[in-house]
Amino acid sequence: MRVILESKVRSKPNLPIEAEAIIPRNFLKGTDLVVFEGNKERTLSELFWIFVEGTAVSPENIEVVLKGDTSRIKRVGEYMDTGNIVIEGDIGMHCGNFMSGGTIEILGNADSWLGREMRGGTILCRGNAGHYCATGYRGEKKGMQGGKVEVFGNAGDFCAEYLAGGEVHIHGSTGDFPGVEMRGGQLTIEGDATRPCANMKEGSCVILGTVHDMIPTFEKIDKRVLPEWKITADVYKGDVANRGKGTLMIKNPGAV
Amino acid sequence: MTELLVKNACVIDPIRGINGDIMDIAIRDGRIVESVSDRAEVIDAHRCLTLPGGIDSHTHVCGTKVNFGRYMSPEDMRAGRTQRRGKMHVTSGYYVPTTFGNSYRYSAMGYTTLLEGAMAPLEARHTHEEFTATPHQDMLANTLFDGNWAVMDAVREKNIKKAAAIVGWTLNAVKGYAIKLTNPGGTEAWGWGEDVTSIHEMVPHFDVTPAEIITTMIQANELLKLPHSVHLHCNNLGKPGNYQTTLDTFDLVPDVNPNRQTLYATHVQFHAYGGGTWRNICSKAEEITRSVNSKPQIVMDMGQIMFCRTMTMTADGPMEFNLHCLHHNKWSNHDVELETGSGIIPVTYSKKSAVNCIMWAIGLELALLTKSPWQCLLETDNPNGAPFVKYPEVIGLLMSKRYRDEECATLHADTEGRTSLCALEREMDWHDIAVMTRAGQAKALGIINQGKGHLGIGAEADIAIYPIRTDSVDPAREYRKVVEGFQKTRFTIKRGRVVSRDGEIIVDGANATFWVNAKVPEDLRMENDPEFIKRFEQFYTVRMSNYPVQDVYLPRGRCIETEAFT
Repeated sequence: MRVILESKVRSKPNLPIEAEAIIPRNFLKGTDLVVFEGNKERTLSELFWIFVEGTAVSPENIEVVLKGDTSRIKRVGEYMDTGNIVIEGDIGMHCGNFMSGGTIEILGNADSWLGREMRGGTILCRGNAGHYCATGYRGEKKGMQGGKVEVFGNAGDFCAEYLAGGEVHIHGSTGDFPGVEMRGGQLTIEGDATRPCANMKEGSCVILGTVHDMIPTFEKIDKRVLPEWKITADVYKGDVANRGKGTLMIKNPGAV
Repeated sequence: MTELLVKNACVIDPIRGINGDIMDIAIRDGRIVESVSDRAEVIDAHRCLTLPGGIDSHTHVCGTKVNFGRYMSPEDMRAGRTQRRGKMHVTSGYYVPTTFGNSYRYSAMGYTTLLEGAMAPLEARHTHEEFTATPHQDMLANTLFDGNWAVMDAVREKNIKKAAAIVGWTLNAVKGYAIKLTNPGGTEAWGWGEDVTSIHEMVPHFDVTPAEIITTMIQANELLKLPHSVHLHCNNLGKPGNYQTTLDTFDLVPDVNPNRQTLYATHVQFHAYGGGTWRNICSKAEEITRSVNSKPQIVMDMGQIMFCRTMTMTADGPMEFNLHCLHHNKWSNHDVELETGSGIIPVTYSKKSAVNCIMWAIGLELALLTKSPWQCLLETDNPNGAPFVKYPEVIGLLMSKRYRDEECATLHADTEGRTSLCALEREMDWHDIAVMTRAGQAKALGIINQGKGHLGIGAEADIAIYPIRTDSVDPAREYRKVVEGFQKTRFTIKRGRVVSRDGEIIVDGANATFWVNAKVPEDLRMENDPEFIKRFEQFYTVRMSNYPVQDVYLPRGRCIETEAFT
């Protein structure tokens, strides 16, 4: 089954829509769902043109497609456990929070907090991601714990903060502090990064581009050939300031 | 004139010696009276358990420390969210909720009076502001004197009158209620990077010992005729083997006041550890309770821990640093100029941890081994041991051996060998629980005369009606019903108004803040002491004239005056 949601033109297009109801499982019983526009409760049909193609008996066969201006729609795919969501444009903050299964594909850019505290499933972002991509909630000790987030563009600051499990792959560059407070999992950055992996405890991080302002509390222990990337990288252990046992592999450590 | 009549109430009122009588309670203008006219509004209690409003004699709900716990825990604000509804404000948070969250949840459990466990005098304004935003409970503030430079100078000079005069001036200035000593000497030593490890060790730079501070403050407390006794958090909190320090402290205490205890020792569970390291820690609850059973001058409270995630917050800075070294979690320490300090870190008490299981058992042992319930009060040092919403579970555990056994079966295997909890058969009755949650507190805090903790004629009409029929519920077997019953009152009545019905708050609160003005003779007053003024202006970052809390911070302040030095 395909559910196509095409956003209607709104008189106040900047007003955020809180749409945690948009997950495939909820469309099994129809499209009569409730979202919030600002502080006003709205039905889905007030904000979207809804087209349903085909039928489904189980949620894993449901695909939700969002079209039109979706850049202010927040929390799409929160607690999603199965099925597909395709977003043809940009998406607002907190897309895929607590997701545990299924796939979200974003053809445009994603705003901040993409895949926060994710447990499983896959998020593909064809454009850029905002700050705090694949992280945890503020104050929480564990961030993303499973699944995969792949961003084909760049990511903002604090990408994969408190990463505790799963895989994060950024094809472009990241901003400041990627992988800060990492507890586990795998972070790959094909572009450049600034001050990566501060206070890392466990897990591993590969950076193929140039690192700016390398943190001084990492200990260089080895040089290693990475066959999948066809490079030789410097291997660091850290963050030794807090007895961390993480692994940081860097092709080009840049100027300290 | 507003009148209310509670009919068919099954009343337990330990202070007046009433135990389960079916009676009516008449209320006029917020006080309990002989009778009311037939125009009075009537509440039928249907023979349900009716107690005086609950009193928490040691909780951390207001003040800078609590608020910093909120800053530090944005993740906690995701829990316990409720929307605005009728008279209720939005609330959020579980172990450090918003002030309204605290107030509503306490009210739903039938609590009407709270004592904030530790208020730094310099930060009193913030505490009083939060008191006004905790509207459904009358508030009292323990005021910290553990590292007060002026007090320690007076202790060194062995000048009890001067120590008393300083306490009197400070309580009046900050609108405090009682003397709180938190790790006396130790917190100030921590300001210099040191700590004290026994009550006879010198506090660095001040040449006094914790024992001298404690004994001097006890005497000063009686000189000032304060309603409450010295409220002590002993030295060496949370260190294996600390029970000896606790026993030594109890041995210092004379029996000088016929109306109440001379020392209130708080959260004693954290001070009753044997062994020498975290690996061989064991319970010394028997030694502690043997001491307390033979000393009517001491009242303690449990400091029970429950298995959950929570936040520790105390004025005991060095202890919190040690805790941080164990957990490697986020933490904070704070120094309050010439007065005290504090520390805050989050913890999770887990059944997988032998230490946590032993701590859990010790708290219950203390309550069950203390012969008189008037001497061991129920609390969790909210939120240090557990958030106060866990009180009903603690009540259930105390009333049912079966509940304890079922819990013990899920604990770490080492618990049984290092504690004696499993061997304790005692099951408390409704009367014991009434003493441990309201009557005992009222007596210990010295607020019976303010009309608290009982339902006699003239008392404040603070009443909790629980949906429990004591004649049909067997707490030993049906402990779940007990726990549920104490979680949500049928009605909570505060000063003659029904404030909470089935857990729903239905009116705006109008609490009072009690504070003490001890009238010190003119020639001893600190505002006339040039040496005190000079030291104050020299060392504090505020002027002495700006220090006292203005009346505007206490919109409903209730002053208790005492004739000191007479």
